Amino acid sequence: MLIWVCALHCEAKPVIDYYRLKKSQQTRAFELYQGDNSACIISGPGKIASAAATAWAAASFAQHAAIAWLNLGIAGAADQALGSIFLINQVTDAETRRSYYPVTTAKSALAKASCISLSQPSFDYHPSHLFDMEASAFLATALRFSSAELCQCIKIVSDNQSENQARDKHRISAFIQQHIQLIDEQARQLQALSEQLASLEVPAEAWQQLASLARFSQTQQARLRVLLAYLLGRDYSMTQILQQIGDASSSKAILGSLQQMGYSDSNEL
Amino acid sequence: MLSCVYVEAGIRQHPRTEKLLARLRHLPLVEIEHYGEVFNPRAQNFRLQKKNPALIIAAKNKGHILTTPEGYGLGGKHNYYFSHMLNCVYDCRYCFLQGMFQSAHQLLFVNYEDFADGIDDVAQQHADQPVWFYSGYDCDSLAYDPMTGFADYFIPRVKSIDNAWMELRTKSTQIRSLLKHQPCDRIVTAFSFTDSHSHAKLEHGVPAIAKRIESMRQLVDAGWTVGLRLDPLVYHQHYQRDFSALLQQIFARVEPAAIHSVSLGNFRLSKSHFRKMSQLYPQEPLFAQNLALNNGIISYPEAQEEEMIGYCENELMKYISPEIYHPCEWHD
Repeated sequence: MLIWVCALHCEAKPVIDYYRLKKSQQTRAFELYQGDNSACIISGPGKIASAAATAWAAASFAQHAAIAWLNLGIAGAADQALGSIFLINQVTDAETRRSYYPVTTAKSALAKASCISLSQPSFDYHPSHLFDMEASAFLATALRFSSAELCQCIKIVSDNQSENQARDKHRISAFIQQHIQLIDEQARQLQALSEQLASLEVPAEAWQQLASLARFSQTQQARLRVLLAYLLGRDYSMTQILQQIGDASSSKAILGSLQQMGYSDSNEL
Repeated sequence: MLSCVYVEAGIRQHPRTEKLLARLRHLPLVEIEHYGEVFNPRAQNFRLQKKNPALIIAAKNKGHILTTPEGYGLGGKHNYYFSHMLNCVYDCRYCFLQGMFQSAHQLLFVNYEDFADGIDDVAQQHADQPVWFYSGYDCDSLAYDPMTGFADYFIPRVKSIDNAWMELRTKSTQIRSLLKHQPCDRIVTAFSFTDSHSHAKLEHGVPAIAKRIESMRQLVDAGWTVGLRLDPLVYHQHYQRDFSALLQQIFARVEPAAIHSVSLGNFRLSKSHFRKMSQLYPQEPLFAQNLALNNGIISYPEAQEEEMIGYCENELMKYISPEIYHPCEWHD
């Protein structure tokens, strides 16, 4: 599952169009667009709005095992050309001075940059950082729900020392649109990572099926989950697992039979 | 493959940092205040990071030389370890480093001078008695050596301290810089091996056994002291056959008499490391084996362990004298 977090509709529009996301009628808290395995939330500008939207989305999609996050938006830069695109590898909150480091695990075609998140718009550009108004709050929130490898920020320069297009919605959409292939590539990598992590989780149906066979203590449940994750990960089907359990009805006997299955399977390493 | 370089602002002008940055100039560079900002946060996934870790260049400001955990050592009275790096370039599924840190990034401390001064101080505290300094506890001592210049710096420093002994523990074949120096009896390069089946299944990215044996041989030929670490011993159906074959392969190329010390130990992990590692790799057969908890350590059930160690010790004693054998002691 990938969730896009954009401050403005004009930042989200190229993504909504490209992935053909549909507007959700279920919610009035935030504007939300959804597709098969992704969603795009429009937070409104600023840190509080971004943090609120990210937290709201995390709660709304909590049933997904691993959520990847992408904050896409505009930024100011001293001397970068308008429309330049950057993958952010360091975000510092201007007020708290706290830094966040999204981890890029795969090779990315995007140029890297650091970004300072401000609470108010500013044209006092810094020579070696981008400026935005959401990234630090987005990361501070997203990192509570997902690991740093699944949280990324992509910024596109909308204003610099000589020109400012930050108020032109059509220009902003066009800036983002021109990089949509690169953005999509980054999104796919993130999505692949989240799917990889999700595949390590025990599917809810399988868990319920097994957990309902007996009364398991908390410790036994933890052990049962480990064994089930192992056996499913080794391509045993639920039918095979249930066959192994056979007539065993007590929690201890069920765990014992699955443990035996694990021992035999692991003999060869 | 490294994905990025983080460098502490305070150490950026250090000559070792500058050399590294020149070599890694093709990678994105991020300046940080303290390595803990990147290395310590909880919201990191070790498994994902391990595929493309970053290099963190930093300075270690305290605790350069530490006493070894109980049972770690080669029978010496004074045993210390130091870690110029945290984390390993290899990806061995049984290694406790997989559960040790939040991050899989390679953390390199470039202030070698402070570590060496610490070695000096500790050696002086035990004047006229041998003191062991182990360098491969939190990392592989030599795997990164062409980049870090670790051996080039520490070999002359340790050589100059008469009562200092140093173990370089490695699974690598990076011995070029050792071969440039005059050998020293007090510096032992200890090579770790598992049998061929365990190597193939569990030691991702580790050079082939035959290549490492050749490196051992080259060091012996050049007059260096080498050690053999048969640790961990991992159970599988053919462990006896494969362990015997490994010994045969090693001793066909390296004279037993040329070996300083041999240690042997079963697969074992602390309960907390085991829990963390089995969550990281739920599909790993190693963690689904028949294991038992004994005094906070997860390992094979006692009878099985005795059988495994007994067999392997017997095989080992066909080649070496008991004086150089140091079993890994972890039971109370």
